[in-house]
Amino acid sequence: MNNSKKKHKTLLTVTRTIWNYPPLLMTIVLFIVFSILFPDRFLTPINFSSILGQFVTLILFALGPSMVVTTGSLDLSYIGVWMLGGILVWRFTPLLGMAAILVIPLLGLVTGILVGIIQVKAKVPSFILTLSVSAGYAGLTSVLSGGYPRVVRGYEFLTAKLIPYVPTALLWTIPLIVVAVFIMRSTKVGAYFYAIGSNEEGARLAGIDVDRYKILAFTMSGLLTGIGSIIQFQHLGGSVPLTLNMNTLIQPLTAIVFGGTLLTGGSGGPDRTIIGALAFAVLYRGLYISLINPEILQLLIGLVLVLSIVIASRGLKGVTIT
Amino acid sequence: MEDNVPIIELKGISKNFGGVVQALDNVSIKVYKNEVVGVVGENGAGKSTLMKILAGVFPPDSGEWYYAGHKLPFPRNPKEAAKRGVAIVHQEKGVIPVLRVYQYLFLGHEDKYSEFSRLKINEMKKYADEILKEFNIDCDVESFMYELPPSTQKMIEIAKAVLSLRLEYGSDNAAPVVILDEPTAPLTIEERQDLFNYILEMKKAASFILVSHIMHEVLEFTDRIYVLRDGELVAHYNLLQDKITENDLFKAIVGKEFIEELPITQTERTIGDEVVLVAKNLTKNGSYYDVSFELRKGECIGIFGPAGSGKSEIIKTIAGILDFDKGVLMVKGKEAKSGELPHVRLKKGVGYFCGRTEEQLFFNWPIRKNVSIVNMRKVLRKHFPVINFDAEKQVAEGIMQKFRIKAPSIDTSCQSLSGGNKQKLSVGRWFERRPDILLLEDPTIGIDVGAREDIYEALLEMKDEGVSMILVSDDPKEYSILCDKIVFMKSGKAEKVLNAFEFKEAIAT
Repeated sequence: MNNSKKKHKTLLTVTRTIWNYPPLLMTIVLFIVFSILFPDRFLTPINFSSILGQFVTLILFALGPSMVVTTGSLDLSYIGVWMLGGILVWRFTPLLGMAAILVIPLLGLVTGILVGIIQVKAKVPSFILTLSVSAGYAGLTSVLSGGYPRVVRGYEFLTAKLIPYVPTALLWTIPLIVVAVFIMRSTKVGAYFYAIGSNEEGARLAGIDVDRYKILAFTMSGLLTGIGSIIQFQHLGGSVPLTLNMNTLIQPLTAIVFGGTLLTGGSGGPDRTIIGALAFAVLYRGLYISLINPEILQLLIGLVLVLSIVIASRGLKGVTIT
Repeated sequence: MEDNVPIIELKGISKNFGGVVQALDNVSIKVYKNEVVGVVGENGAGKSTLMKILAGVFPPDSGEWYYAGHKLPFPRNPKEAAKRGVAIVHQEKGVIPVLRVYQYLFLGHEDKYSEFSRLKINEMKKYADEILKEFNIDCDVESFMYELPPSTQKMIEIAKAVLSLRLEYGSDNAAPVVILDEPTAPLTIEERQDLFNYILEMKKAASFILVSHIMHEVLEFTDRIYVLRDGELVAHYNLLQDKITENDLFKAIVGKEFIEELPITQTERTIGDEVVLVAKNLTKNGSYYDVSFELRKGECIGIFGPAGSGKSEIIKTIAGILDFDKGVLMVKGKEAKSGELPHVRLKKGVGYFCGRTEEQLFFNWPIRKNVSIVNMRKVLRKHFPVINFDAEKQVAEGIMQKFRIKAPSIDTSCQSLSGGNKQKLSVGRWFERRPDILLLEDPTIGIDVGAREDIYEALLEMKDEGVSMILVSDDPKEYSILCDKIVFMKSGKAEKVLNAFEFKEAIAT
């Protein structure tokens, strides 16, 4: 009797979780579908490892920006920070030695503050602003690199194998995720971010210094991206590309939207982005191993993004933040 | 009114929303050629429902529509209404600032001036110039809308409405009817005069229905007035024959019995000497001039006056939403400068509560979060800025009990609450927060009697515990329930300061 009641309660919790996080259901469905379609290729340790690797890439880029999205703005400067940061590390290593890696979080922090101040004071759309920052940083990267991709050695220990098939970068990512989710769910700052995204005027009338918290959102996003980029840098091979890659830019954004964070702000957040990134990684890998033409794969990803943006901007029924 | 057949006549209009609210009950109105008709009433009296029926937004449940004496079916959409010569100029929106005057005038009718989809710009400009001349609007067709003063923008908007009716008819001889919904709302006192002179001028080209809260304007500039109350037509004045005063109109709007029943609760109280807020010669050009008062601890001052008297701007100024041009504002002995934002004022102890919940609440949030966002200090842990979810729960549950908010739990989304419950939640947040000075703007707008009483009770309790308040409202009853002192405003100036008894007398005579 008691046991069945307990069972019932567990079932209820599970249903409620899935109801609150629709992408979770999607991940499970995608997983089952791909497992049935390609049992010999999808259900392999190597594939799982790839999914996790992809997940890490996505989440490290998307974590900070998903905080900004809750305030109703958008932060696409992550690619710029990662690229310019990477090349700055290469430049500064002869000077600073191992400490040069700290240039990346510093760059992220400074970028975040600057973007925040410009966005708030000049009232420019954050989308265009941060995209321009990324484009500008990409240009600077290619200038500073002298035109060749530069590999930095010495930081391999960061991603050295610890557990078979589990990317070590994932282990580094976990504390970042915990911090981001904690800030958004349990602190005043998080509550204020949601308030600004949900009803900016209401937040102002409730006595919140809206401008300051908007700047703070960009700053925290920049810093998180900066710290994440240390791991990302090594996770993606210790070098950075010299031109802005549309896919690297779009995919983290897709992960945020996929998770059910409304681009209009006020809901969602890092916890949703985790699931969004996972769902996207499963989808991407599933399509990838289906051996369809890579160009078609791009098209499909594009369609998925458009679809999820439509859903995300109109709001999913039943999606509320808790 | 040379013609005795009205161009538009509505007979026996009734409209019911969802079986609960009888928005209109057997209302009949007529509009003759070349006249200005006023439609007045409180919020929720049915003015906008009637106007929406006229403009074809939705049809009524029953009633008849006569056009120049011929019975016609109701228009099913604004386009059909336009074909019958009815257009509406909305309160806000409408003007597109980045367009040039001639572009804006012909917006939506470009096909009349295009040749193989190339616009005949010179012809447009020429005709626009003629229109501006005909309607006596003094501006250049090439200038951008945003460069013009708000009153001129409004004039052009009205001209556009008349023009588009003409273009829809294809004839200049038709008699258009233009509905003006609160046309003076965004204008300053000086600009209003300009606009009305213009409307009187325009009477030769069109008929107008003026929907307004501002009684002296309606009295001065209309030929006939319809008064709506609770969906019924309660009075009809022909100003050429009837001599009526602002007070007569006011009584017709709120109901005579209502004024006699005004309860007075706040005369016996003694209030301390501590002054918490001083306004001295506060002036915001175009809105209010030289307003001075002192607010003491535990006192409630009402700022009363018709819409457009500057009362709403004053309270918004004190809240930090608007700035001011001249004068001094002191909060608890310290000067509060113009341009300070609401969060700075809140730090000084001034909280702002407005009855329009969509401006205050976070609708996609649960009740719990809505409460804690205003009461952060209470729900944070002592030594570390982390939210204590137990404290959050306790505070929210306390408010739900205190205000009898009907909801399954504190995790219920705010969206699903009824209007009254939303309002109670919104008040409850400030009740918990207890600022030294609480500004109230229309605190019970659009809610039922039961919820009102709960809110009054809570506000009086706060007052007894030493919270000072400033009230601005459209409901005179609220002043007599809550206020110790009432500042009477007229056209931006403070006329006199009354106590509750004098207040009742002043509005009853």
